[in-house]
Amino acid sequence: MGDKKKRFQLNESQLGYVMVMPALILIFAITLWPVGQSFWNSMFDYRLNDPTRNQTTLSYTIDLERYADNYFYYERDIETLIDSVEGTEMEPTVREIEATIEEFHEQIVTSDNLAEQYAVVDEMVMNFQPVNDDDLKYGSISNEFSENYIDAIEAADAELTNYFEQTEDEELATAIADANAQLGQLDRSLIRPNFIGLANYGKYLTEARTWSAMWNTVFFTVVSVFFELVIGLAVALVINRAFIGRGAVRAAVLIPWAIPTAVSAMMWSYLYDGQSGIVAHYFEQLGFISDASVLLSTGSGAMFSIILADVWKTMPYMALLLLAGLQTISESLYEAAEVDGAGKFQQFLYITLPMLKSAILVALLFRTLDAFRVFDLIYVLTGGGPANSTESVSVYAYQVLFAQQNFGEGSVLSVIMFLSVALISIIFIKLIGSDLFEDKKGSK
Amino acid sequence: MRKKAGIWFYIFLSIFIFVTMFPFLWVFLTSIKPPAEIFNNFNWFTTNPTGQSYLNAIQTRPLFLYMWNSIAVSTLTTVLAISVASLAAYAVTRLPIKFKGTILGIVLAAAMFPQIAIISPIFNLISGLGLRNSYMGLVIPYITISLPLAIWILATFFKKIPYELEESAKLDGATPFQTFRKIIFPLAAPGVFTTAILVFIAAWNEFLFALTINSDDNWRTVPVGLSLYQSQYTIPWGDITAATVLVTIPIVIIVLIFQRRIVAGLTSGSVKE
Repeated sequence: MGDKKKRFQLNESQLGYVMVMPALILIFAITLWPVGQSFWNSMFDYRLNDPTRNQTTLSYTIDLERYADNYFYYERDIETLIDSVEGTEMEPTVREIEATIEEFHEQIVTSDNLAEQYAVVDEMVMNFQPVNDDDLKYGSISNEFSENYIDAIEAADAELTNYFEQTEDEELATAIADANAQLGQLDRSLIRPNFIGLANYGKYLTEARTWSAMWNTVFFTVVSVFFELVIGLAVALVINRAFIGRGAVRAAVLIPWAIPTAVSAMMWSYLYDGQSGIVAHYFEQLGFISDASVLLSTGSGAMFSIILADVWKTMPYMALLLLAGLQTISESLYEAAEVDGAGKFQQFLYITLPMLKSAILVALLFRTLDAFRVFDLIYVLTGGGPANSTESVSVYAYQVLFAQQNFGEGSVLSVIMFLSVALISIIFIKLIGSDLFEDKKGSK
Repeated sequence: MRKKAGIWFYIFLSIFIFVTMFPFLWVFLTSIKPPAEIFNNFNWFTTNPTGQSYLNAIQTRPLFLYMWNSIAVSTLTTVLAISVASLAAYAVTRLPIKFKGTILGIVLAAAMFPQIAIISPIFNLISGLGLRNSYMGLVIPYITISLPLAIWILATFFKKIPYELEESAKLDGATPFQTFRKIIFPLAAPGVFTTAILVFIAAWNEFLFALTINSDDNWRTVPVGLSLYQSQYTIPWGDITAATVLVTIPIVIIVLIFQRRIVAGLTSGSVKE
């Protein structure tokens, strides 16, 4: 890279833009664009496990593989049906159906944009080759044409169903049913646009489970961040002095912070276990809980367990941040206060807290955002249970997105998470003020 | 440092350390018990310690493979993220570019994005690129999630380097990029190293992307792999505690060796000096 720079030298600011570019491109591609995409997906009936809805489309498309395959069987079944209704009063209607469908089919196979593509796919289907290339498999067809085609199929379906119900001849009934079933398959290969606007939002914003997940998330966030702050501040105040064994304290503080949340969740699920868990056992002995199994099998017990595990893991980290803030407060302030006769509590109230304000707010911002998106801890420790009583919005979104494979509806919950986090950030940044970034801009 | 540490202080300190370390202690004590002694038994110490649970832990699931995957993914992430982030942090702190505030604002905003809000499009993207069940499938999202943290901390460190060094390099005829490579980067090495440790730990701990993107057992990382020990009818606490001890050891070693650096890195962004 050094050689390249020697040949065409960039001036300082050009180099600057080149240097920030990779980071900005990555951030745009992997965070900003996906958020936009989640918004977009949330307005579609988009399910990974349903072949007719596994992409987002604003216009009609045709699944050519399915269409070519079914058209072959449809032709066979409609011919059989014509043979069996020959000479009866049904014949003209059936022949008319055949003519209409064939007309639509001809339009597809001779149309400018689909003819070649159809020929290739048809050939592959006849040779029993799967069509894996989506660009080949799906073709676009005009909305008007598809709607007419679907109307024609539906009209034919109505007629055939009518005959099916009237006829008493069993063989004829089977022939009608076969032909009609193939028509239904043709219909399904015409993929409707799955844009549904805000319907998904309507569903989730009126659903009790969403609100209970939101309540669980808010409750968890407020309670655990509150205890982390209070205990963390107390610990920071106490250890803000010279003493022997700082290294041991630092290690004790850092190890819970450094291990994966999923691993600590596994550890706590053992400690809380109703039969072998030591914490559950001691709590029962001490009379905190009526039975050792309460901690994981009741809603409030499980919520308490999650909060305790979270406070254990992140309170030390909070203490560390606050201790660093405490150490920047000048000693002379306290000495002056003592001369003026201020007591310990007054010193804390009028010196420590105001001087620590920005450190506290920054620590609170990051902890609140972190707690609000809680996933691993709950997913591993309780799985959201019992009976969804500890399910956070992230856990619920994960269930809808990946367990139900419903990317449209799950994206609604993703968007709700994004908006909530944006709101929390805006409130905190207003409180902290713009000085958070001012000092990062460099002195120029 | 005006307060003196008295006896009560050390008692408080011992209790604090005991409480934070107790889960690890108990998990370790369980892992060396014979599996039959674990169920419904609250004795602290076993009379006949055994390594049986450790054997079970590495035999029932490919624990060392999970650890290898975690090491590979976290190392790749660290190297790539630090490269990209140090370029950006240098440009933002030392070079005369416009929109510094906007760039840092975007970086900070990206740090706040909840992962659940971006997981499904990234899942589609990674599937589309054919990168599911591969190291790169995780490294690409991990680089991006760790960029804000890395840029933020590196910017703090770069700013502390005196400007005079740059000026004299310029006078000696160095190009801006040479200045960065030969003067600033080596001087910032301790800061870069600190950032690297934090990025490594963040990548090592990530769960949601690892759970969804690398669902094949051969590509799982430690946090996901460990959480699967319990998916049976009876929960093998012996295996789980032994596996926990094994996967925690590398992290404990890193923390013990680099604790001062980690503290410096964690507190550099939040406290103004």
